[in-house]
Amino acid sequence: MKSERSRRVLDIFVNFFRFGCFTFGGGWSIVAQIQKEYVEKKRWITDEELLDFTSVGRSIPGLMVGNASVLFGYQAAGIPGALVALLGVVLPPFLIMIAVTFIYGMVKDNVYVARAMMGVRAAVVPIIVSALVKLFKAGMKDAFCYIIALAALALCLFTPISNVLIVLLGAAAGLIYMEVKERHAVS
Amino acid sequence: MLYLELFLSFLLIGFTSFGGMSMIPLINEQMLSHGWMTTQEVADIVAIAEMTPGPLGLNCATFAGTRTGGILGAVSASLGVVIPSLTVAMLAAVFLTRFKESKLMGHALFGIRPVCIGMIAAIIVTQCESNYAGTLLFGVSWQAILIGIVALVLLMRFKWSVPRTIAVAAALGLILG
Repeated sequence: MKSERSRRVLDIFVNFFRFGCFTFGGGWSIVAQIQKEYVEKKRWITDEELLDFTSVGRSIPGLMVGNASVLFGYQAAGIPGALVALLGVVLPPFLIMIAVTFIYGMVKDNVYVARAMMGVRAAVVPIIVSALVKLFKAGMKDAFCYIIALAALALCLFTPISNVLIVLLGAAAGLIYMEVKERHAVS
Repeated sequence: MLYLELFLSFLLIGFTSFGGMSMIPLINEQMLSHGWMTTQEVADIVAIAEMTPGPLGLNCATFAGTRTGGILGAVSASLGVVIPSLTVAMLAAVFLTRFKESKLMGHALFGIRPVCIGMIAAIIVTQCESNYAGTLLFGVSWQAILIGIVALVLLMRFKWSVPRTIAVAAALGLILG
């Protein structure tokens, strides 16, 4: 049991370090990477759990990527898992950024860097789309879910309401809806 | 003391922001009030953060820390910005695991999951606005759109991993850009 835990902790560190190297576009690609590695391949968590980590991670203070990593790591291997997930995901951007800071003057206006980055940025949306497609079924169980998802989309795009409040509203809607549904089932 | 100030400043930024672009005004205010950076330099960090992997808040912390206090400054500032993940997110993780089987938690999550789907869709829309803008036809960049389509096919049809897809996208950017 103990060795199983430490094997997991090592696995999390190695993979989150790898994820950390490729978290472009505000870090949302980490959701796609966790989905592929830990839902599809290793089956440590379900799509539903990944959605929970993402929404909770987004609605508490701090970095969404860091929060989601801690939530995943804790579930997979307790506190050591949470710590190595966070360390792994943070280390590559930290090291790369220090290097970039020193050579900033050189890269800032470099035309080749700009071209390569145009390509990388163009890949960010497809990466998030691929994660969304896979998670879609896990989040959308009935018509109620579609209404909630559309409402959340509209609130995010057209109002300055914070993500925290939107997530809390979703929780409240879920509680009320399920309560009503259960009462109907009983009567 | 500089390191403590950097740590506290980014601790404050971490605890009062919710990731992404929402951090910029806070970072701006902190950097200017301490005289660590000019407005132009803050704009520069946002530009570099786009080029490097990792969350914006961490990129800003590392950049500002390195600029003002070298490697130790970078460590102090970055530590500050990840403290919320170590504390609030850790508590949330314990809480989620403990009440995972609870009926009420299940009901709340039933409403939260579609919210997450909606939030991801919103991120896609805003990312489209910034990543495919161009100067030619209809204000879009055809090169970026083309690379986007190739990336989507690689990911969805050929099940490519994110790193491989990003490498190909960068190469295509160099060729087409």
